[in-house]
Amino acid sequence: MRDDGVEAKEMEAAQVTADARRDTATLLRPLLVPVWRTLPRRALTIAGAVGLLLAASTRLPDHAPGAGPGLFVLRLTALSGALGLAFLLDDPARNTSATTPVARPLRTVLRLAMALPLTALWWTTALLLVPSPTRPPLLPVTLQAAATTAAALALATVAVRFTDSPEVGRSTAICLLTGAAVAVLTPNRWGLLATPADPWWEPTQLRWAAVLGVTLAVCALWTPEPLGQGLLRRTATTSGR
Amino acid sequence: MTIDPLTEPSTLRADGLALRFGGTRALDGVSLRLTRGVTGLLGPNGAGKTTLLRVLATAVPADDGRFTALGHDPRTAAGRLALRRELGYLPQTPGFHPDFTAFEFVDYVAILKELTDRGARHREVRRVLDAVDLSDVRGKRLKRLSGGMRQRVALAAALVGDPGFLVLDEPTVGLDPEQRMRFRDLIAQAGEGRTVLLSTHQTEDVAMLCHRVVVLAGGRVRFEGTPAELTARAAGRVWSSAERAPGALAGWRTGMGTFRNIGAPPAGADLLEPTLEDGYLLALDGESAEVTA
Repeated sequence: MRDDGVEAKEMEAAQVTADARRDTATLLRPLLVPVWRTLPRRALTIAGAVGLLLAASTRLPDHAPGAGPGLFVLRLTALSGALGLAFLLDDPARNTSATTPVARPLRTVLRLAMALPLTALWWTTALLLVPSPTRPPLLPVTLQAAATTAAALALATVAVRFTDSPEVGRSTAICLLTGAAVAVLTPNRWGLLATPADPWWEPTQLRWAAVLGVTLAVCALWTPEPLGQGLLRRTATTSGR
Repeated sequence: MTIDPLTEPSTLRADGLALRFGGTRALDGVSLRLTRGVTGLLGPNGAGKTTLLRVLATAVPADDGRFTALGHDPRTAAGRLALRRELGYLPQTPGFHPDFTAFEFVDYVAILKELTDRGARHREVRRVLDAVDLSDVRGKRLKRLSGGMRQRVALAAALVGDPGFLVLDEPTVGLDPEQRMRFRDLIAQAGEGRTVLLSTHQTEDVAMLCHRVVVLAGGRVRFEGTPAELTARAAGRVWSSAERAPGALAGWRTGMGTFRNIGAPPAGADLLEPTLEDGYLLALDGESAEVTA
């Protein structure tokens, strides 16, 4: 025989969960405009513009022909876009809205849902800006761009999860640039920056796929708000204690 | 409305709350009871006040211990959601989207508090902006408002949705005396029928507003009781002298040129009427670290 108190609590919890699901659907519409307005539009616009200018530079008459230089430019373009997306989770009002029933993860998902289609469109434009003779194989370079983007989002997710900072974009961008520098300094045979002419081009794609998988897993793992502290702890950054 | 702390049932019960950041114990086994009305949380810098408020506001989970507020246990997702639906939180350093107007920002927070009906929500936003006396500037962008006005916008955001549990972290910091009086009036009104926990450095805020007071130091509760009980602890332990008394726990020169001392007075000392601040300073002293019921 089950305890009546336990049953009543479970029923209450089920009701709260059902309410939450219903409310989430109802809430999306009024949330769209304010969440759109909270996007870091300046960072995204600057990063997007720089990326497109880089891609367009392949059309200059004195640009070196061949897929190698095209790949280099498109990697820089992807890095530029990722640097913009590093600011996507910045929320100056984080402290003020930290304990509302509509929790941060839903707003994060909404931001992603708004930014990612635009990012895909932007990347397609960048690819089309590169002339066919200079354009590298599309699938591998798109995989690399997706992994770079996911790395930026994963770094931002970790920064939000483990610090109280409302604006994590700057530190995320610095970490991303550091990662890019490490990738450049790593020998191509073991690294991520092989060219199609290299014999280790295929294994490099597997590494990029691994980067994409791991960073997406990090995003999925640490976007939800924790109920407990867990093994990895957050740091205090408030002025008080 | 008069609240009798002895007969009023607890709306929040915390037992053994602990939280550390790195090697620092920010909270070290905090247990307390709150009832309806305004409870003041006093303590020096680094006492753990902000951390305690963040835990009770569900902004950060505790390492150890538990609490229930308004019957909800935030250790489960459903309990945390249920508590957040009845919670208003004013953080120590409230953040804003600077391009939003005051109305738009409070409206955004109202949406995040699940007020989905546009008409009803806008009426509620106007009500709270009116309550904090910001109706005239509701169309102004937040970046154009003064610090005091932005603080009031944050209070309006905390009040929206008529929450039953209000957590206010140093709400009067940076306000001029007139604004502070207005804030006290607002908080006193909010305390009617609600549970309000107010962190402050100002003992006069506590004396004027609170029916109960908790003193926190080193992550531990040093005193829990009424302001009168805290003041009474200093009875017979405050005296005046022409020179700084060497055995005093604390002493300072007054405007009259004499010294006000607290601690164990010497024989024949000129005893003074104690204040809440005297009781607070004594509560911070290690010897007085007992908790009154």
